[in-house]
Amino acid sequence: MSIQKKKKVNRIHQFTKWLKGNTHLYFMAIILVIVLQYFRTLLPLFFQYIVNEVVGNIPSALPDFMRNLVQADTIKKQLILIALLYVAFALLRVILMFIRRVLIGVFAERVAYKMRNRLYEKLQNLSFSYHTHAETGDLIQRCTTDVETYRVFVAEQLIEIIRLIFLVTFSIIWMSRINVEMMFYSVMVTPVIFTAALVYFMKVKSVFKNVEEKEAKMTTTLQESVTGIRVVKAFAKEKYEIEKFDKHSKEYLKEDFKLLKLMAIFWSGTDFVIFVQYAVAITMGIVLASQGKIGVGEFPAFLMYIGMIVWPLRQLGRIVGDFGKTIVALDRLDEIDNKTSEHDNDSTNKPEIKGEVEFRNVGFQFEDDYQPLLKDISFKVKKGESIAIVGRTGSGKSTLINLMVRLLENQHGGIYFDGVNIKDINKKHLREHVGIIMQEPFLYSRTVYDNIGIMDKNASQEKVYQAASIASLHNKVYQAASIASLHNDIKKFERGYETIVGERGVTLSGGQKQRVAIARMLIHSKPVLIFDDSLSAVDTETDIQIRKALKDFWDNTTVFIITHRITTAMEADKIIVLDKGEVSEMGTHEELINKKGIYNELWEIQSNVEYDYDKINKGVK
Amino acid sequence: MDFYEEEEYTESKFDFLVWKKIFGHMKPLKKHLIIGMSAAIGLAIIDTLYPLINKYAIDEMVETGSIDKLPFFIGFYVVVMFSIMILVYTFIMHAGQIQQKLSYILRKKAFKRLQELPFSYYDRTPVGWIMARMTSDSRRLSDILSWGLIDLSWGLLTMVGITIVVLVINWQLGLILIGMLPIIMLLSIYFRRRILRSYRHIRKENSKITGSFNEGITGAKTTKALVLEDRNFQDFDRLTSSMRRHSIRAAMFAGLYFPSILFVASIATGLIMYYAGYEASIYDKIAGIGITVGTLYVYINYVGQFFEPVMQLANILARFQQAQASGERIMDLIEQKPEIWDRPEVIEKYGDAINFKRENWEELKGEVEFNDVTFKYNKGETVLSNFNLKVKQGESIALVGHTGAGKSTIVNLICRFYEPTGGKIIIDGKDYKDRSLGWLHDNLGYVLQSPHLFSGTIMDNIRYGNTELSEYEVYKAAKLVEADDFIREFEDGYDTQVGEGGARLSVGQKQLVSFARALLANPKILILDEATSSVDTHTEKSIQRAIDTVLAGRTSFVIAHRLSTITSCDRILVLEDGKIIEQGNHKELIKLEGHYYKLYTNQFKSKAIEDSKNG
Repeated sequence: MSIQKKKKVNRIHQFTKWLKGNTHLYFMAIILVIVLQYFRTLLPLFFQYIVNEVVGNIPSALPDFMRNLVQADTIKKQLILIALLYVAFALLRVILMFIRRVLIGVFAERVAYKMRNRLYEKLQNLSFSYHTHAETGDLIQRCTTDVETYRVFVAEQLIEIIRLIFLVTFSIIWMSRINVEMMFYSVMVTPVIFTAALVYFMKVKSVFKNVEEKEAKMTTTLQESVTGIRVVKAFAKEKYEIEKFDKHSKEYLKEDFKLLKLMAIFWSGTDFVIFVQYAVAITMGIVLASQGKIGVGEFPAFLMYIGMIVWPLRQLGRIVGDFGKTIVALDRLDEIDNKTSEHDNDSTNKPEIKGEVEFRNVGFQFEDDYQPLLKDISFKVKKGESIAIVGRTGSGKSTLINLMVRLLENQHGGIYFDGVNIKDINKKHLREHVGIIMQEPFLYSRTVYDNIGIMDKNASQEKVYQAASIASLHNKVYQAASIASLHNDIKKFERGYETIVGERGVTLSGGQKQRVAIARMLIHSKPVLIFDDSLSAVDTETDIQIRKALKDFWDNTTVFIITHRITTAMEADKIIVLDKGEVSEMGTHEELINKKGIYNELWEIQSNVEYDYDKINKGVK
Repeated sequence: MDFYEEEEYTESKFDFLVWKKIFGHMKPLKKHLIIGMSAAIGLAIIDTLYPLINKYAIDEMVETGSIDKLPFFIGFYVVVMFSIMILVYTFIMHAGQIQQKLSYILRKKAFKRLQELPFSYYDRTPVGWIMARMTSDSRRLSDILSWGLIDLSWGLLTMVGITIVVLVINWQLGLILIGMLPIIMLLSIYFRRRILRSYRHIRKENSKITGSFNEGITGAKTTKALVLEDRNFQDFDRLTSSMRRHSIRAAMFAGLYFPSILFVASIATGLIMYYAGYEASIYDKIAGIGITVGTLYVYINYVGQFFEPVMQLANILARFQQAQASGERIMDLIEQKPEIWDRPEVIEKYGDAINFKRENWEELKGEVEFNDVTFKYNKGETVLSNFNLKVKQGESIALVGHTGAGKSTIVNLICRFYEPTGGKIIIDGKDYKDRSLGWLHDNLGYVLQSPHLFSGTIMDNIRYGNTELSEYEVYKAAKLVEADDFIREFEDGYDTQVGEGGARLSVGQKQLVSFARALLANPKILILDEATSSVDTHTEKSIQRAIDTVLAGRTSFVIAHRLSTITSCDRILVLEDGKIIEQGNHKELIKLEGHYYKLYTNQFKSKAIEDSKNG
């Protein structure tokens, strides 16, 4: 019992936490909704009043305060007054209706705004390992569709539920004041309508899901065929693709048709039930009228009340039947919202980072992995040295450098920058000083210029120095682009540095992206730079050019380079060979060649140069 | 990705031609349209006359207190109830089927056309654009041509019906009702248009927010490494703030719509109350003056009943323009002429790219010749001019040079993904345009730098080129490219799902799979475009071994940045600005000490070379 109770409390918190700060708007809107239903249910009473008190001489159920307003000595005057009163009330009603819509609009958008921002901030601050396991599509769905589901629920569906409850309540109250027996006949069948809708929409969910799945399958086929058109054409599989798409398309059609049939049955069926309600009320009304229990003023009023409540009840059933969706959405949102940020409880210590790096027995393992990715790594690097890290795919190279900027946290041993353990260095501070350039760098969908200058804070913030800092940023951007051998590429674009990159603009080649990533890192000098195979997609000649240009730039920088190209590695002051998460060899190029180990093997595979050259030379001479 | 969904459209006039074309595609759905519309008309008639049934009950039975006519009345009512049920069912079934089948037809035709269109089309058309045409546009168009069209006929007829009925019963009261029509109509059209426009605007902002979330998630690692969290958040906040502002403004505007219509209707109700109330108070059946209470009820009822069709009509009219724009874009796609397509006489003999006539195909041997080939991209930039090259059957050719030297162009021309703008490409002694696309592509193997896999199992992907092959042959091919090991390491082995676009495999693994796939297709011409750039040195070496065995007897073209992978090719072409500046085998070119030598030694660093030179 207590567990269940606790769960319930959680649900309420889960539901209301996103509304904080905006609840006053919501309550005002709800009060207006209630008042509006009161007004709305008065219309049939106006009718009854006209028929009974103006045309005939029988009392009606119109509230006294209103009746007093329309007393006059002639029928015409009375009718003018009642028509004016009605229009005046309509005006009031319309104004309130507008206010309540605005209130809800403001409320809903504020809630959505708050949710989006909170989720975005949360996502950015979640740890790197969270992101490596998360599925982008799913996360985006949560931040968009699930937010929307909740927004629609509080702003529209919940309001609709409240509206209908009060609409029905007021209608029943007025109807009872006219005639209790007739009231009963007027709502007799309505529970059936509501229940039918509720059950239907709960049952039909699985069909909906099937349709969605089939549609998704069809869309995937389409998308893959379009993005893979080269493969399709190169293998002459056009016919196969057409047939595959047609198959998925037909399956979707078939499933969608099933849904259509169910919809047709539901809507026509419930229409029928609604008319059964009318038939019952009309028949019983006629019978009651013949007994003199109700008159010609009451009967149409009842018909009006029935019209007000039967149609929306079907909708109510749908909303309640769909309620589960909102709960699922909230659960999914909580999964993001309840995660802790990687910056919580982080050290605030910001020591100067000069460039001396030391690994002492560092080990790392993912929680869900059964074996460590890195074991007992130790080495020491002096300020300004360059270190190459080589090894096969999966040997732990990327993990090692991720540890250096605390994208991952080592469980064993310690990593020290100028003698300070990195756990005692503020993460953001650390990352600001240790630059990392990735193999598949991410470019933001902005201009090339903005992408290169993205780390320059002054440009966007301090207005006073703006002119000067923009000028200096210009120089820096061009200089960085030149060093990265990018300037000429950019000049070839139609819009030069103003070219927008990514989905909405130009797609850069892998090599161009890598070079932008390098240029971006050169805007500010950093004591430590890490290249994670970040020239792999650049052609050899450009690679050499860039590395030459960088050398002048490096000077006092400690540089780590992960690479598959042995010719790159051999230039480093120190080479570390990783194998299965361990340092298997370490030393200079010559030392490692002489060791005749893994490095030498790599060297021989890649070069064959001496062999080739000797052979050729011998042939020539 | 839904950036292209809310594309701008000019507020153009009704375009008869577009609709004529679209209706051309609807021919098979004629039956549904006729039945659906008939049901809509039936419903409109019942909706119009229904209040009169209640009027009859009020005037003939409630007023008089007699129940003599009750059984007859109930009988009649039951008939009406069943008619409504049947008509609603028919209406939904047929409107729904038009919608479903029309979008099916449109998608099918567009997809077929997509398969026929050449690469140049894909070069200038983003995938997102195509997806939007195939999904949201086809939905929007088929919606309006099914539900829209049938609702339109219901709405129009109900309006006309009610107009006639209210005028016939009492034309003075009728005029009050009809007087409110144009006002409601104008208000509705005005509001609907504006609301639709602001809604589109908001959708656009929303897609920007989605894009931003996408960037925030896929770029998380980079953002962290560059410490750009705060900056990104500020940008994001700018987006969401603007969204909030616009949404609130739109909600306020939309919030005016229904109340203002309701107010117009309330004035009409007030007027009816006054006039009809007075008429009812002087009712005298014998003198023939005044109206009955039933009539009073009917008029008040009709005020309410007039809303729906009018609002419905305004809604359809407002959506119409958008649907026309959608229609234009879909028709544009379906009617797109493939620039590269076989001539009728070639199709006659060899079949086209979709339906093959294998029985007439000559065997492709693999002799390739470029004869004075000139090629210009659409943008006008000339890549090749008067290019000549002869490749013998079974020869392996490596293409070397800087980005933009023309390597990819040559390969694309061989594949006939593009056609020469001047000169000829001759395969086995005949211009390749004299044989069909299907013939060439069926004999081609192609491994790309960024390999593309289809969702499905690894098995499915490897035998993509030839679905008939046995599993044994798949294993063999996978072993040859040394992909077998990593595949078997997966829990489901060859039945492992690769995910959308092969997302569950690493780039290197995808490359190996695409390699096995190309081998299994048993191509006569094999093209490797940077195929080994993402595999580590060991794997690359083993692939190299596989290539060497597989290339034997096949004509092949290899593009590689890592020169170590091409040293065994029969002939290496060094390209610059679309011209061959050096050619020969590895040894010959090294001997030449020209461009290739420079490239090669650059890569393997002067050090070793210098050492051996001195030594």
